[in-house]
Amino acid sequence: MTFLKRYLIPRLIQYVLVIWLGITAVFLIPRVLPSDPVMAMIGMMRARGSTLEPGAMDDIIADLTEMYGLEGSWLDQYWAFWGRLFQGDFGVSFFNFPARVNDLIGNAMPWTLGLLLTTTILTTVFGNIIGGLAGYYSKKPWARTLDAIAMVIRPLPYYIFAFALILVFGWVVRWFPITGGASIGAQPALTWPYIKDVLWHAFLPGLSLTLLGGAVTFQTMKLLVQNVNAESFVQYAKLSGVTEGRIVSKYVIRNALLPQITGLALSLGQIFSGALITEIVYGYPGVGMLLYNSIIRADYNLIMGITIFSIVGITTAILIVDLTYPLFDPRVRYY
Amino acid sequence: MDAATPAKKKAIIRTDKLQAYYILDMQGTQKIVKAVNDVSLTIYENEIYGIAGESGCGKTTLLKALFNDFVPPMRLTGGSIFYLLDGDREVDVTGLSPDEMRQLRMEYISYIPQGSMSVFNPVLKLKETYEDFVGSHRKGQSREETFELARHQIEVLGLPANVLELYPHQLSGGMRQRVTIALASLLRPRVMIGDEPTTALDVVVQRGVIQMLTTIQKDMQNTIILVTHDMGVHANIADRIGIMYAGKIVEEGPTTQIFSEPLHPYTQFLINSLPKFGDKNVRGSVPGSPPSLADLPSGCPFHPRCPHVKDICRQQMPDFSHPDENHKVACWLIGEGNHG
Repeated sequence: MTFLKRYLIPRLIQYVLVIWLGITAVFLIPRVLPSDPVMAMIGMMRARGSTLEPGAMDDIIADLTEMYGLEGSWLDQYWAFWGRLFQGDFGVSFFNFPARVNDLIGNAMPWTLGLLLTTTILTTVFGNIIGGLAGYYSKKPWARTLDAIAMVIRPLPYYIFAFALILVFGWVVRWFPITGGASIGAQPALTWPYIKDVLWHAFLPGLSLTLLGGAVTFQTMKLLVQNVNAESFVQYAKLSGVTEGRIVSKYVIRNALLPQITGLALSLGQIFSGALITEIVYGYPGVGMLLYNSIIRADYNLIMGITIFSIVGITTAILIVDLTYPLFDPRVRYY
Repeated sequence: MDAATPAKKKAIIRTDKLQAYYILDMQGTQKIVKAVNDVSLTIYENEIYGIAGESGCGKTTLLKALFNDFVPPMRLTGGSIFYLLDGDREVDVTGLSPDEMRQLRMEYISYIPQGSMSVFNPVLKLKETYEDFVGSHRKGQSREETFELARHQIEVLGLPANVLELYPHQLSGGMRQRVTIALASLLRPRVMIGDEPTTALDVVVQRGVIQMLTTIQKDMQNTIILVTHDMGVHANIADRIGIMYAGKIVEEGPTTQIFSEPLHPYTQFLINSLPKFGDKNVRGSVPGSPPSLADLPSGCPFHPRCPHVKDICRQQMPDFSHPDENHKVACWLIGEGNHG
């Protein structure tokens, strides 16, 4: 009961408050940007060569403003916005008009989730296990070699690394496609040829994310392990002849993993905003690409749709870490 | 406490000209820290041996060396370490394989660390720590048998019965220290080495810890080697004391003799700095500061701080002279001519 009163309820209130503040900021920021979606749309029409009478122009501006939900003061827009949000409706996209934001995100999200969930899991599992062992056996030749490799990979700018992979595997040896989420014209279906096609296309973006992310996890974990290794409980266990297997797994890696759990939860939360550079470099049809396009074109509704996913994703991930952390570290108690 | 009578006792742990150096590579130049320098110790069955000295004199390195635990940059650069295995077989453990050495830990020689906050794995209940420590040595033993053994010992030693179910952070400092002693003695080792087990505890708790150590020692008739800078603790518990200075043992003798007639000027300083009942004079301390173990003075390492320094002290390290059978001291002032 004290847990409920003194921790859980205030924590949940904080959770709701953070989401509300985040969404409000997302509502305001595009509206103070200098780009005006209505004028941008008219600019696009003109670019296509249509000429408009001055009177007709005013009508179009009024129509667009109404359709985009930009009528009235910001406060009116704000109320209308929350009203739609509670019905799970993010409105229509301004530039893929009349496509609904829900559908656009719904189409892009599976690509992003599939790619990023897989790479996050691979990065976490391999980075932590290999980094942990390399930290414990840091004097061994294989650990030094891995450390040297990680030291070279990690500071590489991601886009250069990603382009290098495309160049080598997509152009020089041509084992993997250079762009797209699936072959052009392939029909989405739960059949082996289609799944194989998707995996084939996802390989290079996945590899670039796993290697670079894995190198970071590897290095962090290696340092964490070396710190834990100097703790007195490890020394005590060693001088008491505890077997090496138990010391490495239950004493060293188990304790070094604690800070990594928070890191994992944060990266899981960030998945919903996509991997911007990866998706642009590899032409991957995910949420990151969608977000990039929506920002360039001041597509308010789409920006808000994606960022709301991202805000809810990250705050929920942090809430889950906070609530489950006592399971991993008995020293943390909320009552 | 009786003065030990070495002649009748077997040496349970013995070192011969033991050298443990830290060899550090600093920007291409080798730096050698002589933390344990030609130490020949003989410690007998059924005694409490105290090793005393100020911070940075090599106590902790000597302790690690007695465990044959050499982790770079600390290296065994010379000498031998003998354990008395199976009651009568003296074995040089520097030649043992890591796994043979691992099996001797806790069963033959166990470690009592300082009961600091992080002395136990913070994410495990104490019974899991017990299971890891005991299970590593008693392979066939079930968890329940281990817990039964632990519970029995906890009851005998008068610790709270629920202690196994607690996490380390739920114990007080004194309780953590007592659990480390209980765990270290669980497999009835022949030798237990305590690393400052009473430091950082208040004096009331210290007394409890000391009583627990003596109770266990009387019961098991084994050897405790106590490393601490606290001369008061040595006076209370040790049968014999070795005084360490700059990586060397400079004086060794029965506790009563060390306190009543200290011979080495350094020992005299240590004893005279202790408060005494009725004496209202200001206590003096040892002048100067301990030498760097990487850059030792020539001759006797104490000569720059010694009020009785002579020419020979600056040139040559004295050997031990034996004022009587149990007492030895390395100082040019004592028993001149016996110093080979």
